[in-house]
Amino acid sequence: MNPSFSEKMKHILEGFLTGRKESVIALTCKEVQELENIFSLLLLGSFVGFPAPPTFLAVELLPYMEREMQVLQYRADTSGDMLAELCGILGVD
Amino acid sequence: MRVIFYTGKGGVGKSTMAAATAFQLSKNNSVLITSLDPAHNLGDIFGVTLKDKRTKFAHNLFLAEVDLQKRSREYLEREIDVLTRTYSYLRALNLENYFNVLKYSPGIEEYALLTCIEETVRNGTDFDYLIFDTPPTGLTLRFLALPRVTITWIERLMKIRRQILDKRYTIQKVRGGPKEGEKNPEIKLKYEEGDDDVLNRLKALDENYKSLNRFLQGEDCSVIIVFNPDLLALRESERLIEGLRDLGLPLRLLIDNKVTGDNLETAGEVEKSLVEGFGKDIPVRRVALAATIACQLGRCLYDIPEDLVSAL
Repeated sequence: MNPSFSEKMKHILEGFLTGRKESVIALTCKEVQELENIFSLLLLGSFVGFPAPPTFLAVELLPYMEREMQVLQYRADTSGDMLAELCGILGVD
Repeated sequence: MRVIFYTGKGGVGKSTMAAATAFQLSKNNSVLITSLDPAHNLGDIFGVTLKDKRTKFAHNLFLAEVDLQKRSREYLEREIDVLTRTYSYLRALNLENYFNVLKYSPGIEEYALLTCIEETVRNGTDFDYLIFDTPPTGLTLRFLALPRVTITWIERLMKIRRQILDKRYTIQKVRGGPKEGEKNPEIKLKYEEGDDDVLNRLKALDENYKSLNRFLQGEDCSVIIVFNPDLLALRESERLIEGLRDLGLPLRLLIDNKVTGDNLETAGEVEKSLVEGFGKDIPVRRVALAATIACQLGRCLYDIPEDLVSAL
């Protein structure tokens, strides 16, 4: 059965609203990702030669750091194109 | 319960002084003396063989030598176990053994040392005195500084973690909950303080280290520096006193060990220099070197005539 006109309109409006919401929080999402990246770098920085906290602190928290390590990996992959990513978020063409 | 740390340069006689104090105290109090020095000689002083467990020497006197390597290994094995359980799917691929590489993490000895002190203090409440014979200056200062350094790191990390959770909360509020049938990993992220495993672990560690630090800086804890009448021991003791002051740890007594008729004058100068420069209110005890001590094999090394306990 084809959706009625009001249902179509509802879908369009919902899509529009979600789009607006995502554009509002895009920067916050990025900030979270960056903070998570900083957190992991501070904690696990000895792997890349940064001054690190007492080793056991990193070892204690390591079991819970799966997501942070993924973010770290992602940031390492995309760090060459950081400017483009920021322009994308801020809507600069 | 009171806790006493004996510290000083290598070879000045920390272990002997700690053993003598323990022996003198044990006449009226129950005492546990624990050696944290990787090069143990507490057993030699008392003429017994000690393993990594508490041994009764006399009615009121118990001895222990800590096997640091074993403690480090046990700690890392516990952590590896948590990791292996968290990533249990790796078992399917037979990859879990790769975590074993963590056994070689540097800096674990100081942590093992600190954990050992914490454990001894926690389990030793039935003793009147706990005496620790510590490793030479460098390592001792490092592990005594560890609670404070760790607390600083934990506080910074907690601050960042709270910011992350705050922002996740904002994202969650703007987005709303996941719709039916929708799977979005971003939405599943934990944003409440109580739900975040990392923050919970940090909070537990913070509490642990703060209470240990409070204890180390408190009334029931004493640090005693042993030195010899020579320039090197003087310089190292000066550094040690400064280090202890920076850390807020209570220095209660200075022991000038191995004083003989020949070095009497130097002994006086070294003591004067330490007291005037660093600890005006801190008492100094002088312990004479018995020149024949090495030749008298049957003699009790821990039984010395000087009084070491009245100043405690």
